[in-house]
Amino acid sequence: MDDLILDVQHLTHQFPLTKNMVIKAVDDLSFQIRRGEIFGLVGESGSGKSTVARCVMNIYQPSSGRIFYNGIDVSDPKEFRKHKKMLQTSRQLIFQDSASSLNGRMKVADIIGEPMEIHHIKPNRGSVRAEAEFQLHSVGLDKSYLEKYPTELSGGMRQRVAIARALSMEPELLVADEPIASLDVSIQAQIINLFKHLQAEHGFSILFIAHDLSVVKYLCDRVGVLYRGKLVEVAPTKELFSSPAHPYTKSLLSAIPVPDPRRERARVLQEFDPALFGRDGEMVEISHDHLVRKGGKR
Amino acid sequence: MAELLEIKNLSVSFDTPQGELQAVRDVSFSLHAGEVLALVGESGCGKSVLCKSIMKLLHKNARITGGSILVDGIDITNYRQRDMERLRGRLFSMVFQDPMVSLNPTISIGEQIAEAVRVHHPKMEREAVHQRVIELMELVGITEPEQRYGQYPYHFSGGMRQRSVMAIALASNPKILLADEPTTSLDVTIQAQILDLLRDIQRKLGTATIFVSHDLGVVARVADRIAVMYAGKIVEIGTAEEIFYDPRHPYTWVLMRSLPSFAGEGEELYTIPGIPPTMIDLPPGDAFASRNEYALAIDYEEMPPMFQISDTHYAATWLLDERAPKVTPPMGGDFHG
Amino acid sequence: MNRKNPYIDYGKKILIFLLSVLILSVVVFYVARLAPGDPLVSYYGDRVEKMSMAERQWAEENLGLNDPIHVQYIRWLQNALKGNFGISFKYKTDVLEVIGGRLVNTLVLGGVGFVLIFVLALGLGILCAWHEEKWLDKLICKVGTIISCIPEFWLSLVLILIFAIHLRWLPSSGAYSIGKATDIPDRILHLILPMTIVVLNHLWYYAYMIRNKLLEEVRAEYVLLAKSKGLDKKSILFRHCLRNIIPSYLSIMAISVPHILGGTYIIETVFSYPGIGTLSYESARYQDYNLLMLLCILSGAVVILCNIISQTINEHIDPRMRESEVIETTEVTEIG
Repeated sequence: MDDLILDVQHLTHQFPLTKNMVIKAVDDLSFQIRRGEIFGLVGESGSGKSTVARCVMNIYQPSSGRIFYNGIDVSDPKEFRKHKKMLQTSRQLIFQDSASSLNGRMKVADIIGEPMEIHHIKPNRGSVRAEAEFQLHSVGLDKSYLEKYPTELSGGMRQRVAIARALSMEPELLVADEPIASLDVSIQAQIINLFKHLQAEHGFSILFIAHDLSVVKYLCDRVGVLYRGKLVEVAPTKELFSSPAHPYTKSLLSAIPVPDPRRERARVLQEFDPALFGRDGEMVEISHDHLVRKGGKR
Repeated sequence: MAELLEIKNLSVSFDTPQGELQAVRDVSFSLHAGEVLALVGESGCGKSVLCKSIMKLLHKNARITGGSILVDGIDITNYRQRDMERLRGRLFSMVFQDPMVSLNPTISIGEQIAEAVRVHHPKMEREAVHQRVIELMELVGITEPEQRYGQYPYHFSGGMRQRSVMAIALASNPKILLADEPTTSLDVTIQAQILDLLRDIQRKLGTATIFVSHDLGVVARVADRIAVMYAGKIVEIGTAEEIFYDPRHPYTWVLMRSLPSFAGEGEELYTIPGIPPTMIDLPPGDAFASRNEYALAIDYEEMPPMFQISDTHYAATWLLDERAPKVTPPMGGDFHG
Repeated sequence: MNRKNPYIDYGKKILIFLLSVLILSVVVFYVARLAPGDPLVSYYGDRVEKMSMAERQWAEENLGLNDPIHVQYIRWLQNALKGNFGISFKYKTDVLEVIGGRLVNTLVLGGVGFVLIFVLALGLGILCAWHEEKWLDKLICKVGTIISCIPEFWLSLVLILIFAIHLRWLPSSGAYSIGKATDIPDRILHLILPMTIVVLNHLWYYAYMIRNKLLEEVRAEYVLLAKSKGLDKKSILFRHCLRNIIPSYLSIMAISVPHILGGTYIIETVFSYPGIGTLSYESARYQDYNLLMLLCILSGAVVILCNIISQTINEHIDPRMRESEVIETTEVTEIG
């Protein structure tokens, strides 16, 4: 039996549009994250990936389905209230746009220290400031950054600060909602490496959300591909890249540019026809750990 | 080939409370008719400022401190806004990064394109304008143009909006199209479609294009020539083949190495050491020296000149000086990823 | 996607309006009777003090004042629905008659003032935005700031001093010269000074708002695209930027109608201008219940109406608000 840190079962989340219309942002989604695993969730805008992150973090109450975190059903408000403090410290969220998720009027030291003060957690390294300095160091920034404001930092540095803040809670699960989408390619690599190092060091699990398959290849152990609120394929990263089974996964893979002008110019893109997508298909295991959505009428 | 645009020793500065910020430093390049030139570099390297200074779209605190901009042989460096209005749209126009904010939210898509048609043809008949708008929408691949004419930007997805922006930019058949990171904020599959559209249009209309991007991978699909920028300067320029298969500048090497596609299975992604310099009070010598593992002593003292490698290929690094030690580049050659 | 039926929408708004006015009338009715003071004084004047208990009782009964409040209210409401708002205790005639002429005066002062403010603020705001950070912009902004800081009653007195007393160009008070109630040029002459104060008092705030909103729009990304099309400054400012701020300007102006009308109350007092303002003050002071009720309901109705208009403008002018957003990529499912 696998040791699961997160078990999402038949998660559905709908937003009301008008009185008799709803949008199913997430539709009957099931996936598991094992302890110490980096799980990638990939989908394009509107595929519902951020909604999944918010449901997992109890920001949204799911319309139906259950989410087990360490065996606790967090989608049950009663259970959530009972374990609130533990849940809010051991799960941490990192946003895409750290420019707006960090308070521009707070210094870096206060940003990192704030969650410790909110939850009345005694810092491991004596003072809150020492702890902030330590966490900042572990994300590759020296203590001169403690006195800076977010606006004085570049996008990559702000994202490091956001990670340091999450680390100060010593989380077991990190949910990163497109943490590198608004960064330059060269900075994306730095943040990816940072996630990888930190995971190896602390052993926490990561739910890593991205809109682009090229970056998850180097970070994630397993990847789930999301399309219009439904999972279409879940597989170990290597297998997903070497033998993708769902046509949508194939089209996503073919969209990754190859940095070679002659080959790239000659390459023909595989477009995915949305008309071919059947919503009532089922996930079928085609090999060990490799699930693909099959069948279904349009 | 005829030179459509010639930039000579252009420098652009911003006045900031901290002092003069040199965003573009002594940049020279030319754009031939019908080619796609890519400007590549990390954010803050001045690539976007360079584009906007050609169009004179910069804010008031920016000024051209030196050099000249020649379009079709005419020096427009000192053109005022009023003179520029006659050139914009007809001679050159621009596509911006974020199609979510570059369209006016309260005017229908068709009207916004029609406006661009009428700017330089104020006497055109209503019917003819409408016909032209539909033509443009078809050109950029907007399906059902008649139905979509009256819709507003919020009805459109990101990709469709970027197509509309391109229709606006192409309305008066400009000779030069400046595309400032046109695909950065789009989904990967949409990004590929827009890149192909850019290439198709460039082939069909022969519009010379300057394509700005931070991603070398994206550039490979569209560019004929590539200019790599660092700290406000062009450090290397050449054909796409020359840059990808025979890069000479250490910065081009690391920029390429940091692409995830170049990392091997299970390998760590390569990252460029250090951080880009602030563009206020730059140190003497090569601005990249402190991050360059191949830096020579002279890099810290004197700015390297542009060394010629071939008719089309130039790079500004002392490594190309005949006295410099021979270095085997970590990148280049045919790609076998 | 189903569209909302506009008539149902308007019906709802009218219902909300009527309900608000009803609630307002209840509150005013009760609060007015809670205030200390003797309503008989305004009806009988000094004679009240000489009245015997029996006489007082008879007088109160005559005016319907000794019933429980809710009975009084229901009686008032029944009459009001028939268009009978009772008599004014002080003027001893139908309140509608008392208000009638004065309402016109106030509406002329406030209404024309409002239109002037609306137009001038738009003009000044555009002028400032066009000449952003040039001397004209700076001058207008500075003058505006200084004038806004001057209390209106003081400014009124200064203007009276200059134009009415020293120069003798304009009358200092009233709505018309004695015996010339129907003389239109004479009325206009009387309006100039109070109108100037009303306009000067509110103009700058709205002009400054237009300027800043326009400059905000000028810095929007879409302006870069408009510029790169080859549009000139004029088309960008008028066809793009102004168009985008007009809906919010209209809705803000709609909310500000009561504000501007309210401002005329003080000015009416300073210029002894026979309008609603002076009347409201008197009616509250002398416990002239019927008059007070009607005045409160009138001003309340204006406030509520303007809010509803403002809301409707917001909903209808901006195309983004006209329809609910279309979501293309996610699944839309019909339920029920």
